[in-house]
This record gives sequence, structure tokens and C-alpha cells, in this order.
Amino acid sequence: AGGHTTEILRLLSCLSESYSPRHYVLADSDKMSEAKIRSFEQKRAETFSESQFTLDRIPRSREVRQSWISSVVTTLYSIVYSLPLTYKRQPDLILCNGPGTCVPICISAFLLGLLRIKRTIIVYVESICRVETLSLSGKILYYFSDYFIVQWPDLKRKYPKSVYLGRVV
Amino acid sequence: FRFKDSLAEDLQSADLVISHAGAGSCLETLEKGKPLIVVINDKLMDNHQLELAKQLHRDGYVLYCNCSTLVETLQSMDLSTLKPFPPGQPEKFALFLDTVFGFQ
Repeated sequence: AGGHTTEILRLLSCLSESYSPRHYVLADSDKMSEAKIRSFEQKRAETFSESQFTLDRIPRSREVRQSWISSVVTTLYSIVYSLPLTYKRQPDLILCNGPGTCVPICISAFLLGLLRIKRTIIVYVESICRVETLSLSGKILYYFSDYFIVQWPDLKRKYPKSVYLGRVV
Repeated sequence: FRFKDSLAEDLQSADLVISHAGAGSCLETLEKGKPLIVVINDKLMDNHQLELAKQLHRDGYVLYCNCSTLVETLQSMDLSTLKPFPPGQPEKFALFLDTVFGFQ
């Protein structure tokens, strides 16, 4: 959604074609990201003609300020919904940066890893907006991700297992 | 203004931007090299939005005030004290990932 999409497209901007095909996963309620993604991929196709991508939608796991209990239920539902999608795509890498949408996908990939079906590397990049505290997605995925990247030094101090590369977006 | 698709054109021709603390607005403005005054609305503000505005102010990239001090800030501001905002470096991220996967 919005800011997250802009950030993630910037993260993708310097990646080589080794990171292909790209599978984008959006929340069903997200109206603006699809256009941004298509525009990004279109530009990319001008340089890398073999460029491929897909776009899928999953139910939104949590509305802003949704209550705790109902969030657990909706997130569980999203995880169950995500499992077949993640199983189908079997990504080598999941790159995410914080919208609630990423949590069920990462958890489903984590489960597929536990079941020895597919080992996916999960890389989480916390948003540039997060200077002193982690987002809720960040707090959860700090434990499930293989690499957790923060963009401000304060967070590196608070979350020592994270990776600090400076501002990357 | 509310429903314009993009403010990029307006940003480009502006000499000074006064904005709320939304990250997108702040970053877009700073990246265009425009001086920025961030106005914090104490009543509506979501705490986490403030983090970035505060940090940008601490680092000397933006001026900072609230609704009641805006006029005073506009009257006494010295925009030359603002530092230029260096761009983010996605290439560092790409390099990191390449190392993880052994692409070199």
C-alpha cells in the first residue's frame, strides 16, 4: 500500500535480472499499488527484455487500529489463504517492508520451510519512517526473517540481530 | 488539491513547502531539494509519523513547528540553515542481497 509500495520499488530498482521472475502480492483492498508496479515493470522491460512478473492479491490481514483479537482471526485467515499461493510460487526469496499483507505470506513461507517443502529466504526491510520503534509487522518478522534490515542506527542498537546499511530508499 | 494524482509538478515550482509530517510528503519534498517546514498536529498525530519528522529535524534537514507556532516560524526562519538531503542508496541494498545469494 502507498508508501510501502514506493519504498519496495526503490529497493528493487538496483536489483539485477537474477531476481526474476518477480511475484508481487497485494492486499485485495489496495487500489493504487498495482499501477505503480506495472509502471515500474514496464520501465524495467525496456532494459531487460526477458523481464517477468506476476501479481496476486490476498485478503488484507488487518485494518489500521483493528482490535487485537479480531486481528489474530483475520491474520490466521490470511495465512491459510496465503499457503496455497506461496506453495504455488515457491519463492527463493521473499522481500517485504512492512504492510500487514507481508506477515501471512512470510509465515506461510516459514511453515513450508518447517515442513521441508521449500526453504525460502525472508528479507525484511523496515520502512524509512521507523526511526526509533519497529512497526508491528517488524516486531513479528524480526523473529521469522533471515535478514532484518533497518535504516536508522537507533534501531540497530535496539535490535542487534538487524542489519544496518544506512538509508536504502 | 486533495485529489490530484501527483503533486510533483507543484513541488518542482515551489520555493518553500509547508507540510504535515507524513513520510511520503517529507521525503518527496526533500528529494526535490525544496526547503521544508513540517507542521505537527499534536491532536491528530500518530506517534510513529513524528519519529521521522523529529529525526529529519535533528539532522538539520527540515524546520519544525506546530499549528500555533507556524506564523512565528515563517517570520523568523532562516532557510540557509537547512542541510541538503542526501538520496537513499538502494545500490547498497542490491549489493547486500547479491552477497547473500552469492551473485557477484
